[in-house]
Amino acid sequence: MMKDWVRATIVAVLTALAASVAELLDRGGSTTALVVLTGFVALGELVVLRPPHRAALPLAYAFMLVLVRATSPAECILAFAVAELVVLPLRTEAWSERVRASVEHFGAGIVALGVYRLADSIDGLSPTPRMLSALALSGVAIIVVHEVSAFSRSYRLPPIGGADLALVASGMLMAIGFRGVEARESVGLWSVALFSIPLLSAWYSFERLAVISRTSAQTIEALSVVPEMAGLATPGHAARVADLSVLVGDRLGLRRRDLDDLRAAALLHHLGHLCLDAEEVRDRPIEPAEVAEKGAEILRQTDLAKAGDLLATDDLHLGGQILRVVSAYDDLVTSGTPVDTAVDALYSGPGFVYDPRVLEALDATVAPSAVSPVGATAG
Amino acid sequence: MNDQRATRVTAYCVALATFAVGLGAVLGVRGPLPALAPLLALALLHLFAENQLTDLTAELGSSAGVMLCTAAMVVFRSDHSALGVFIVGVAGGFYLPQVMKWEWRKLLFNCSMFAIASVASGLVFWAITGTGKASPGLLLLAAFPTALVYAVANVVMVSIVVMLATGQRLRDVISVGSREYLVYFPFALLGVFLGLLYLDYELALVPLFLVPIIVARQAFSSYLALKRSHEATVRILVGALEAKDPYTAGHAERVADYAHYIGLELGIPASRLERLRLAALMHDVGKLVVPNHLLNKPGKLTAEEFDIVRKHEDVSVEILTRIDFLAPVAPSATSEAAHFSPVADDRGQPVEPHIVAVADAYDAMTSTRSYRRALSQDIAFAELRKNSGRQFHPRVVDALISGLRRRGEVHGAGHELFVHHVSAPRGHTGSAGLGDLLPEADDVAAEPTGR
Repeated sequence: MMKDWVRATIVAVLTALAASVAELLDRGGSTTALVVLTGFVALGELVVLRPPHRAALPLAYAFMLVLVRATSPAECILAFAVAELVVLPLRTEAWSERVRASVEHFGAGIVALGVYRLADSIDGLSPTPRMLSALALSGVAIIVVHEVSAFSRSYRLPPIGGADLALVASGMLMAIGFRGVEARESVGLWSVALFSIPLLSAWYSFERLAVISRTSAQTIEALSVVPEMAGLATPGHAARVADLSVLVGDRLGLRRRDLDDLRAAALLHHLGHLCLDAEEVRDRPIEPAEVAEKGAEILRQTDLAKAGDLLATDDLHLGGQILRVVSAYDDLVTSGTPVDTAVDALYSGPGFVYDPRVLEALDATVAPSAVSPVGATAG
Repeated sequence: MNDQRATRVTAYCVALATFAVGLGAVLGVRGPLPALAPLLALALLHLFAENQLTDLTAELGSSAGVMLCTAAMVVFRSDHSALGVFIVGVAGGFYLPQVMKWEWRKLLFNCSMFAIASVASGLVFWAITGTGKASPGLLLLAAFPTALVYAVANVVMVSIVVMLATGQRLRDVISVGSREYLVYFPFALLGVFLGLLYLDYELALVPLFLVPIIVARQAFSSYLALKRSHEATVRILVGALEAKDPYTAGHAERVADYAHYIGLELGIPASRLERLRLAALMHDVGKLVVPNHLLNKPGKLTAEEFDIVRKHEDVSVEILTRIDFLAPVAPSATSEAAHFSPVADDRGQPVEPHIVAVADAYDAMTSTRSYRRALSQDIAFAELRKNSGRQFHPRVVDALISGLRRRGEVHGAGHELFVHHVSAPRGHTGSAGLGDLLPEADDVAAEPTGR
């Protein structure tokens, strides 16, 4: 696959070429600036802020505000359309997703244009506050379109956060710097380039954050396999228990944070086995409770302390109950018990009293007719 | 820091502060006084930036400082009030944790340094742009030499303090980290904008300016926090897994530390260093699937037993491969990738496996194992040197030795953190790790680092 910087360079080179042609054809006119701004929007489609738990926000949103203010409606629409078309082949997602993103961002730009024109035409305000509020409203309109689109896909409203604010604020500054208000200084395209710097450092920070979050999650997943490789659990047990526990937890209404802890606890619930002192457990069978307590003891020393609590045998959290039920269920199913009898067996399990709410939720989750809320539970 | 060095640093800080106070007095008496509103606003912003953006600026130098000082130069340009720039600079030196602990030498140094650097660069800026109307283009252009002077002043003053405190040569201190000053240039340009915006719109637009910077900073501190938490978690998990074997307790953590020293000596960039540390911490994770009685068997392993022990390398590689961030250095866990071959062209090959191999061998030699006691550091160094260029990467061996010497660390016989109450046989130098356990002598070459 093409590297990010290669794709960005392609757009930059195309922009430079088009701008040179524009300068030749229309010396001193506004075409060159229009072309360069279009190039910024296209580049901004490739550089995307990815805050945690938030639909990705392209830097293009900020650059759109400059076009909305600085160009005529026709030029603005043309610029958005060209930018979205140019990046369409350079996006990395599946084609349906590329088209959806391009259409959504184009739509957001058009809405922003409409809102700006409407707000800027209101009489009774002096030019500077009018322009500022029109720009702010226009920026908010982009975010609203983004939210509505995200909602229509996941039926969840992602929380608006700092990244949205940063995009709107930077876009407003770029628009003001590009062309001043009431005969004040303007610095043209410089403002667009330079106000991108804070956005780029935000982008860099979010990327590093995403890498370390992924590393952290993958490390736990990788470690979860060690007991299986050592022959202490059936292959895939930890991953299956984690996935099913999260589904059951989601059905029981656990919050995202609790689901994350449940997932970590489920993945690491056999790790304690590897840590038991070899001398102490020599020549005697190891009790499941020992493994759980050891795991809890270790996880409680880390930032996964809440996950550790779930492993403790005296734990009364719903998460802990879910983990024990699902783990027992997976043991039954992997040892050959049919799915429907496995749940029944847990209801009447000898010596164990499982939480009936959890059993009901498990029953509903694994029933063949159950519609699993796919995508809504990814921890 | 010994007493003599401490005295020198104190003297330097006091001298710098005296100069700065004198400079401020001259500017106050002879120059025009700055307008109060922009002075307060910019000084407070500088104070805020240096206190709130420290996480971000640790990677970006004091770029927020250069931005706000440049803004002050633009705002006070009409009457060349150098005192204004001076005061805005001083404000950045008040780092509140240092004020609370009353670390007066640091406070004196920082305040003086910011003030002197700001005034020096401000004079350059004004010399180019004058007092009258100047086009934004000229102001932006002038920001380049201004940032250069600011950076040079900053580097010289900081480097002298480092030289006095550590006894290193000035040249060595300056060459370290000079690349980070490149970010001063875009931030000086941003400062010009901030100044122009202030002149045109006063405080109205300043919040807009701060929002993206604060958001970037918050994301960056979440990243740093998660990074620390992740490494701590891996340390504890790996430590707990190792703890069942008294001979290797703390091994991974020490190997990670040694690998980090080597990486620093070799000048590996920060993100790769992070990867190296985590990979080194987890390089032995596959050992967990090897039954304890084989790991600690005092005596030679049979060929089958040796195969089982060798299998752990594959498990380690598989586990590292499952983590995207570590996958590129997953071969660090195999002895093949780590074996240095003087014939093969190793350009383009990652150096990480060699680093982990040397760190691992050094720790194996300097700690007691079930089959032999710890060797002394001198013997371990001699052994690494002897095999440098044959089994170990020569640059990596040199880096480890100089890294440990620089820190004055001594490991090995008599310096072990964990004293074992077991009588392990004394080993000879050939037994880096598995050493004596290898089935036949000709296998020693195939299993160089003996993990």
